[in-house]
Amino acid sequence: MALTRRELLRWSGLLTGAATLGGLVLWQRRPGAEGPLLLSARNDTDGHHYAVGYYLNGRKAFATRVPERCHAIAPHPFLPVALFVGRRPSTESYLVHLQSGELLHTLHSQPDRHFYGHAVFHHSGEWLYATENDTTDPGRGVLGIYHLDGLQLRHHDEVPTHGIGPHELAWMPDGDTLAVCNGGIRTEAESRVEMNLHAMAPSLVLMQRDGQLISKEMLAQAKNSIRHMDVASDGTIVTGQQYMGELYESAPLLAIKRPGEAYRAFPLEEPQRQMMQQYTASIAIHSELRLLAMTAPRGNRFFVWELDSGKTVVDAPMQDCAGVSAVREGFVVTSGQGSCRGYDCSERGVPARVSHLDLPAGLWDNHAGLLV
Amino acid sequence: MRLLTVATTALLLTACGAPQRHVITHLADNVLLPAHQHWADSNRALAERARQYCNDETDLNALHSAFGNARHQWAALQPQLVGPLSEGNRSWQVQFYPDKRNLVARQAEELLDTHPQLDHAQLAEASVVVQGLSAFEYVLFDDSIDLPAQRERYCPLLIAIGQHQQQLAQDMVDLWQQPEGMLVQLKAFPNERYAEPRDALADILRVQITGLDTLKKKLGTPMGHLNRGVPQPFQAEAWRSQQSLDNLRATVEGAQAIWQAPGVRELVSDDALATRIDDAYTDVLTRLDSAPAPLIELVQDSAQKDWLDALYDRLNTLHRLHQNELAAALDIQIGFNANDGD
Repeated sequence: MALTRRELLRWSGLLTGAATLGGLVLWQRRPGAEGPLLLSARNDTDGHHYAVGYYLNGRKAFATRVPERCHAIAPHPFLPVALFVGRRPSTESYLVHLQSGELLHTLHSQPDRHFYGHAVFHHSGEWLYATENDTTDPGRGVLGIYHLDGLQLRHHDEVPTHGIGPHELAWMPDGDTLAVCNGGIRTEAESRVEMNLHAMAPSLVLMQRDGQLISKEMLAQAKNSIRHMDVASDGTIVTGQQYMGELYESAPLLAIKRPGEAYRAFPLEEPQRQMMQQYTASIAIHSELRLLAMTAPRGNRFFVWELDSGKTVVDAPMQDCAGVSAVREGFVVTSGQGSCRGYDCSERGVPARVSHLDLPAGLWDNHAGLLV
Repeated sequence: MRLLTVATTALLLTACGAPQRHVITHLADNVLLPAHQHWADSNRALAERARQYCNDETDLNALHSAFGNARHQWAALQPQLVGPLSEGNRSWQVQFYPDKRNLVARQAEELLDTHPQLDHAQLAEASVVVQGLSAFEYVLFDDSIDLPAQRERYCPLLIAIGQHQQQLAQDMVDLWQQPEGMLVQLKAFPNERYAEPRDALADILRVQITGLDTLKKKLGTPMGHLNRGVPQPFQAEAWRSQQSLDNLRATVEGAQAIWQAPGVRELVSDDALATRIDDAYTDVLTRLDSAPAPLIELVQDSAQKDWLDALYDRLNTLHRLHQNELAAALDIQIGFNANDGD
């Protein structure tokens, strides 16, 4: 992303502060000599938690040990920093320098709040929005709004997410409207135990970043928790569900909301749906190739479909497949247990080509962000 | 940068790859594929006995025996379920367990009410609850059914289940043996499933460990571990046929077959650990040899609580040796996102 003069002026204050913190320089989103940088939360075999960045050639950019396990990553739109967001019910998230790996700032949630593992920076670079739990009313979803002040994120406000147990959120193409997955599950502070499996209320919400509700849509089954998502450049939203009912029951584990259309199940063949074991993890849309990728770690299965036709492009076994992110020619997929893979899907009509990447195997958390 | 230029196919040439590859080849050829074939053979026999029984060509004992063998082969296969049979809802099609709400009985009766002349195609479209061994067992052993007197009603279901299991099992063996099938994926790396031998070995051992963990649930649930100590005899696997402990033994022996396959033990440099695992298998199997009664009776007899607790403890020791120490010794990651996602 190239900076305008106006943006440069607006950020002069921040950059001045940054200079005292190790020479932070503007980060233009052009591939460097080593290509895209893969960002993820990761563990080591002793159970320690890390915020990591690896180039796809295997070189480690950084692996910064952090106190609590993180989940997803919110990269800043043009500074070389990213927030590694604490996994629920964590009360900490970590702002990390993407070149040095330095932990610049630990963001603590407000009293009676914890993070749900996902956050996004606004395109202005000034604001961060994080899904959070109001533990005084367990499960009531709020969007914590933080202002980036120097290299400190300061709590500014919060607004409701208009649902229970929010999880992933993403910007719509206008850059000011947020799509939020309200998972529908109530959990208490310091707990991951579901309290309301017989009264779940998942929803897909579109809202303005000031909190104003635009739309709220549900799927047919209340036990079908809407958790993860991606948004295509044309505004198509795809969500991945985790069904909290029985394994042998049938529930749509992918759903789609095309621009101007209702939210509905993404068509899947039943054997493919059964492969997912009622659990989907990461969703990634490749807007240029019009492809949709999804990981199903309980089913040990990785999928890619054509976004418009629903035709299967990849349906492959992959142990504990975790994060997935789009790269120019396809997708990169990480794993909690095995090696990471690249799928080249760039040639239509030709089977996708898989490569096993020279990245550390296993212990990657469920989301991966790629800075390309 | 093209993805393919950063692929590392040389991984398989690492120093530890060669012994692992040899061990996996042996496991695939001599343990895993044969277990699938034995299971398929037992289902072929089950289908044939069901057809013969319903045509007055054999007796009920022969059908019971065929069922017992199919059940035994399935139990033995469970700690070896790598590949196609572990995917999708296929294992549910073989056996519906746990059956917390007695769905098997209810749905089997409903299916026969709506389809008195049930055939295989209709069963294939029905719920997994009634497609497998659990429904077959219900017909053979439930007290409410007098099969010799009610063959007209129940034979269509027995025959259809037999055909369904035979077909499913043969499909699985085919998926193992086809070009680029599971057998090849355990021998030629990298492939669609595994990057290197290490990934395949880890998968095999994870399945073995899951099989042992599942046994703890199969024993602990009827003992009342999930019910504040109050026994739940009808939550035992195979309670109708009283084959619960036979199944348990078969699964332990299936796990042991992996451990005892040539080369596996040698991958563990800690001899003391290997000996403890040997002993743990012996302890569980010896304990099972002394079982005083079927599990459904044992859990309802307070005098047998110590015996059951001792069996559970030995099973727990066996499981934890694999889950913790063997996995660590072989540097295998056990569950991460799959078991503890978000």
